[in-house]
Amino acid sequence: MSELINLSLTDQIHGLADKSFSSREIADAYLDEIKKKKSLNCYISVFEEESKENALLADENIAQNKVRPLEGIPIAHKDIFCIKDKKTTCGSKMLSSFISPYSSEVFTKLDNAGAITIGKTNMDEFAMGSSNETSFYGNVLNPINEKLSPGGSSGGSAAAVRANLCSFATATDTGGSIRQPASFCGVTGIKPTYGRVSRWGMIAFASSLDQAGIIAKNAKDAAVALKYMSGFDQKDSTSLNEEVKDFQKEVDADQEHVIGIPKELIENMKNDQVRDSFKNAISILEKDGAKIEEINLPHIEYSLPAYYVIAPAECSANLARYDGIRFGHRSESVSSLEDLYVNSRTEGFGREVKNRIFIGTFCLSTGYYDAFYNKALKIRNLIKRDFDEAFKKVTSIAMPTCSNSSFELGSISDPVEMYEQDIYTIPANLAGLPALSIPSGKVNEMPIGLQLIGNYLDEGKILNLANKFQKLTDFHEFK
Amino acid sequence: MKITKQDLKNISLLSKIKIDEERSASLIEDLESILTMVNKMDELDTSKVNPLTHPIENTQTLREDIEKKDIEREKLQELSKEKDSGFYLTPKVIE
Repeated sequence: MSELINLSLTDQIHGLADKSFSSREIADAYLDEIKKKKSLNCYISVFEEESKENALLADENIAQNKVRPLEGIPIAHKDIFCIKDKKTTCGSKMLSSFISPYSSEVFTKLDNAGAITIGKTNMDEFAMGSSNETSFYGNVLNPINEKLSPGGSSGGSAAAVRANLCSFATATDTGGSIRQPASFCGVTGIKPTYGRVSRWGMIAFASSLDQAGIIAKNAKDAAVALKYMSGFDQKDSTSLNEEVKDFQKEVDADQEHVIGIPKELIENMKNDQVRDSFKNAISILEKDGAKIEEINLPHIEYSLPAYYVIAPAECSANLARYDGIRFGHRSESVSSLEDLYVNSRTEGFGREVKNRIFIGTFCLSTGYYDAFYNKALKIRNLIKRDFDEAFKKVTSIAMPTCSNSSFELGSISDPVEMYEQDIYTIPANLAGLPALSIPSGKVNEMPIGLQLIGNYLDEGKILNLANKFQKLTDFHEFK
Repeated sequence: MKITKQDLKNISLLSKIKIDEERSASLIEDLESILTMVNKMDELDTSKVNPLTHPIENTQTLREDIEKKDIEREKLQELSKEKDSGFYLTPKVIE
């Protein structure tokens, strides 16, 4: 039944509904594939027996016509989402034995929609990384070329979708952690508007930037999955109390598009192949009827420096909770309370997480707060205004997801060079805008992504445009 | 931007993370390279711009003040290695 794992989510939903196959058959096929491809290291936990049992229950529901929207669909959650009574590690030694006492809203919503959680995917430690190499559990391999990085931090989710190890996977994006791995693995990834999806039970990195989203085989699948994970949640004070549009309907609707191209950014790109591929993707959409407008985002080049103040500052505050006392790693070699704090944190966090805590601590300390943190917040405002201005005349903004295709594992040691991976994805996080990445070509025989940024709460618009592109091209097909 | 050994000591103290002597040199290098990149912000005059702490202007939503028992205390405390009679234990702080 291995062909079942090649099917899209929408085809799996139809096949289950008309009883062409059972949920148990799909679950078994994924579990077999997970075993075969264990060396990719996509999963931190796999719930084999439970998935099989839940698949049988789903089949019973289907037999009785009690079908929920995602009934019997095996999915994976990034190991940043808490699931009650399950290990939730966030890719860190700090939480390597943490069994969550409650479930994240993302899990609960998808679980209530009938999805079966087949396992939890590997990730950079506390979502800090762009290559998956900071995970305490070792890096994930890119299924297309195992010498290369799957991207990060949601590398496990992107690789699991690409390798047909789940129907779709949840992921999170603080500065590009959904879109960059989606680009590297040739899959579709969407980060919705900030506040669209509840952050309750999603382990915090930088709270004003973190947003949960989806990695799927294509835009249609992403639209279906996002529909069932979005919505207001009283438990998250930043959750938006706004109606969730029917993305599933919107993705296929007849819509007109005006695409903004930040001309200067494109002309200044260093990689000709990426630029040419981007221009080719835009010309495909233009021929299909989309209008193209040049736009100006004058402050976008300051996104990276502003982000690398704001994100570490928020991270240093959020990760202060790991004190070795209530949960998380507790050092054995302790003779005082100070020792308990210091040794637990020093032993529990990896190098990159420490670096970010150090930067954040420094930027928030006396004498530097205004020069760094406040300055970065002001630049964040300028970047948001640039987008507000651009969206007065366009319905979406297009740019490449990354400046190149995937790189060899272990090849980047300079932190700034690694941070530059997110140079085109960070602006949408600073402004809180929805953004997605779809495969749009190849460079060095590896996929690269086209990034589409939408206006606030306009996920449906960019999903619609992405779906148009995928109807006209086959870059998203796994070959 | 230069980071001194004293800066490292302060950062270590504030973040409650030890910095080994042999890691100091490479850490200074990493931090200086990150801060040099960050210093690009100085090119912009932001004296007339307000800081934006949050991307979405959203009024804090409040819920009814009704007790919920979503998370049980005992279950939470199971996560701690050292506890006694409902208390978390730490090394002695008073002699």
